[in-house]
Amino acid sequence: MATIKMTDLGHVYDNGHVGLEGIDLEVRDGEFLALLGPSGSGKTTLLRTIAGFLRPSAGELAIGGRTVAAADVWIPPEKRGLGMVFQDHAIWPHLSVAGNVGYPLKLAGVPRTQISGRVEAVLAQVGLTEYANRKPSALSGGQRQRVALARAIVASPQALLLDEALSALDEPLRARLRLELRALTREEGLTAVHVTHDRAEALGLADRVVVLNNGKIQQVGTPKELLEHPVNSFVATFVSDATLFPGTLVDGNFHADHPGFRLPRTQDGYLNHGAEIIGTKPQTGSRSRRAVAAVDPASVRLKAAGSMDQGEPRPGSPLARVTSALYGRHGYETSLDWAGTQMRVLVNGWVPQEGDMVLPMIERAHVFSQETGVEGKQAA
Amino acid sequence: MTTHSIAVSGTATDARIDADGGSAPPPSPQPVPDAGAQRRRVRERDGLGALRAGVWVVLAFLVGLPLLALALQGIQPEARAVFGDPAVAEAALNSMASATGSALLATLAGAFLAVVLERSNVPSRGVLRWLVLLPFLIPPFIGAMAWMALLGANGPVNKTLQDWGIDAKLSIFGGWGVVFLLAVHSYPMAYLVIAAALRRIPGNLEEAARISGAGTTKVLRTVTLPLLRPGLLAAFVLTLVANLSDFGIPALIGLPERYTTLTTLVYRYLASSTTSNPLPAVSAIGLLLLVLAVITVLAQRKLPGGNQVGSAATGMKLELGKAQIPVAIMLWIWVGIICLIPLLALANQALLPAPGIPLTWENLTFENITRTATSPGAAAGIGNSLMLAGGAALCCTVLGLGVALLLTRGKHRSNGALDVAATLPQALPGLVIAVGWLLIAPTLGIFNTGWVILGAYVMAFVALVVQSVRAPLASVSSSLEEAARTAGATPLRALLDVTARLAAPAALTGGVVVLLTAVRELTISILLVAPGTQTLGVSIFNLQQSGDYGGASALALLVALVGIIGLSATAALANRRVDK
Repeated sequence: MATIKMTDLGHVYDNGHVGLEGIDLEVRDGEFLALLGPSGSGKTTLLRTIAGFLRPSAGELAIGGRTVAAADVWIPPEKRGLGMVFQDHAIWPHLSVAGNVGYPLKLAGVPRTQISGRVEAVLAQVGLTEYANRKPSALSGGQRQRVALARAIVASPQALLLDEALSALDEPLRARLRLELRALTREEGLTAVHVTHDRAEALGLADRVVVLNNGKIQQVGTPKELLEHPVNSFVATFVSDATLFPGTLVDGNFHADHPGFRLPRTQDGYLNHGAEIIGTKPQTGSRSRRAVAAVDPASVRLKAAGSMDQGEPRPGSPLARVTSALYGRHGYETSLDWAGTQMRVLVNGWVPQEGDMVLPMIERAHVFSQETGVEGKQAA
Repeated sequence: MTTHSIAVSGTATDARIDADGGSAPPPSPQPVPDAGAQRRRVRERDGLGALRAGVWVVLAFLVGLPLLALALQGIQPEARAVFGDPAVAEAALNSMASATGSALLATLAGAFLAVVLERSNVPSRGVLRWLVLLPFLIPPFIGAMAWMALLGANGPVNKTLQDWGIDAKLSIFGGWGVVFLLAVHSYPMAYLVIAAALRRIPGNLEEAARISGAGTTKVLRTVTLPLLRPGLLAAFVLTLVANLSDFGIPALIGLPERYTTLTTLVYRYLASSTTSNPLPAVSAIGLLLLVLAVITVLAQRKLPGGNQVGSAATGMKLELGKAQIPVAIMLWIWVGIICLIPLLALANQALLPAPGIPLTWENLTFENITRTATSPGAAAGIGNSLMLAGGAALCCTVLGLGVALLLTRGKHRSNGALDVAATLPQALPGLVIAVGWLLIAPTLGIFNTGWVILGAYVMAFVALVVQSVRAPLASVSSSLEEAARTAGATPLRALLDVTARLAAPAALTGGVVVLLTAVRELTISILLVAPGTQTLGVSIFNLQQSGDYGGASALALLVALVGIIGLSATAALANRRVDK
């Protein structure tokens, strides 16, 4: 088990496309790290760079304290001592289950007698003891992925790399393998890097999550940190499905361009109760600046238009129309059209109907003081 | 609570409602077979049946009848007597030996080229990939003529050796020459088959081996080559059958040294007037070859094929490092000796007035070309070949498109048989096809006419169109046709308007390949030829046999150039379409 240290790592593809840029990251010993991002964000490029299938065009990479890639250093993948699980398992069809799992040991020069014992032990760990002599074609998808996992950990690798390892599996099975994977890596104290586009999987499995976009790291943090303290609007929208409201920050108070956007007032009339301002705060008295507020679906309450209290002080607030309401595990995932802004809200306790008019009440927001609200543009 | 009930027929609805409550009775199995029967009835009424019946009738006539006649004639006791003849036994042995030896060589060369040209970073890969295929684009008998020109007694090689004072006459004639030339002309096919198999190996299987600690050569040995085994075997079987049936090379290279194979033996039986009725003996030999070919084809179909799921990851790159330049030089020498120099020797012979005259600008002449191309014999050959090849291309395109449509659209229990009937003839030696047509020609009243050659061509080449159309058809989603159905088209109409229309370019490509293959064909036409129906191949062969090397080379050079340019252009166009 070892650490993986990346220093200013970059990769430019042959066609000039920038795959990775300025990656500084340290995977701690025994840590389960998830790389999360939309397709094309560079998460697979980063994993393949760690594996050694891609050579970085800039920066350094060290595994277990040994530099494996730098300007003048190159260690090929077979000499890095890693284990890897591929999306479509990549089980060799011409070898038996035991042949597949024992292959890395054979290459490491482990005596035949010890190989069989070790293979048996690992197969027991993944629950495939009685399948040792089967051909891979006789196995189900989940069993093949378990063989791939056994093959990846059999030689006690420095780190375990998982490339969308569970994405090809069907849902209930995927959830079960997710648990098994977590238990196995804990038990063995494995350093693991897991690439996924599934947010729930990344947040559920990982000790820390790295959010990538356009080849750059957006944020590194525990799942809780990502949800509660996103550092920019991309992380807020990608991880939490937040809705963005561009606006202006004056004297520490956020004023949205949207006519209906209001943050709750405290008893003493302080305007922006519930808003967390991220980025350098403007000095009091300094001139106003553009900013973006991100509101995640769980931070909004909806009031049905009919039930509205006449005394409520909301002059001129436009109502929002429900465009769809999908039933989900945590409530109705409701989409609103609120004066031209498409907004996502999680509704509990009542059933929104398509076409209902509602008033969104924002309870919390993250305000990013150095963003203009234009997609993908960040001052920082 | 939302209702999940999807529109289902009467009785099933109750079950569905119960299922929502959680206590579902097992759904009655009744509706399932009903639906199946209904669908079958609909399919029979849909007009596809008419297409299927039509295709079957044509195939029964074109493929079934000749093979049946051959089998019936071949098992007669008087026919079997031919195997007592020691000459036949020797020819059979020579055929097997030369075909097996050359197929082994071709597979080895093909595998080496596939790995190097597909996976390594050897410089000038693109040009080399095309150049190594050159022997594939030239008919084998023209290749044999080129090597005869190169290694003839007065040819450039032996002359140079003489000038250097080396008294070693190199000769291409004899058994070894036959094996060598068969290998030269079949390795491109082995290369194409193996390269395709190599591309189907998912790259992540190799990556998994590398991350497990295997270096490049170890990955090749323990993962890539074992996975390539079915492809290697397929390449071996294909080249074996092709070489077993070749006529031009053993006739031109083997016969002068009395090295007889089954094809040249049959030719001698049919051409010589000494044997009173050669048909029984010829049928017996044909039947033997038929059985051999069917066994190999069936054995190969039994093998696990390319059932691996392809993946996005490309295969492992083979870094040659310091070996890069030596490997490139070796490949260029290969290409030079095997592919280019024989063609130059042929051109040399075609453009010089007589063998042995030094090659200078003043001596070059188009006299050979103009003389032969305008001679009545050659002109008739060119005309006949164009007519026959054009007719065969037309028939094969229509028939092949029909067969491919039936095979890819709808599952009928006769599809397996249809597949075999349409594609088996391609694996059959040309000799078998020719003898089959020779046997049925008198009954059909087309004996000694061009029709018998046309029939044999269609039988032999229809598989080219089927194969060309099948892959693109299979990738056309059936929902395109279903959309036409919902728009009001009958099944046959939808098939013709949507699927057939989409497959038409591929069918056309297949037709062009048939045209280019048939126009320079020799093996079939030389056995079926009659006065007035001689083809271009037969014309060239006869010129060569009569010693007019200049004239023969002139025509051969034209055929070779047309083949190289035509097939390269067709392949380039087809590839461009695939890329789109």
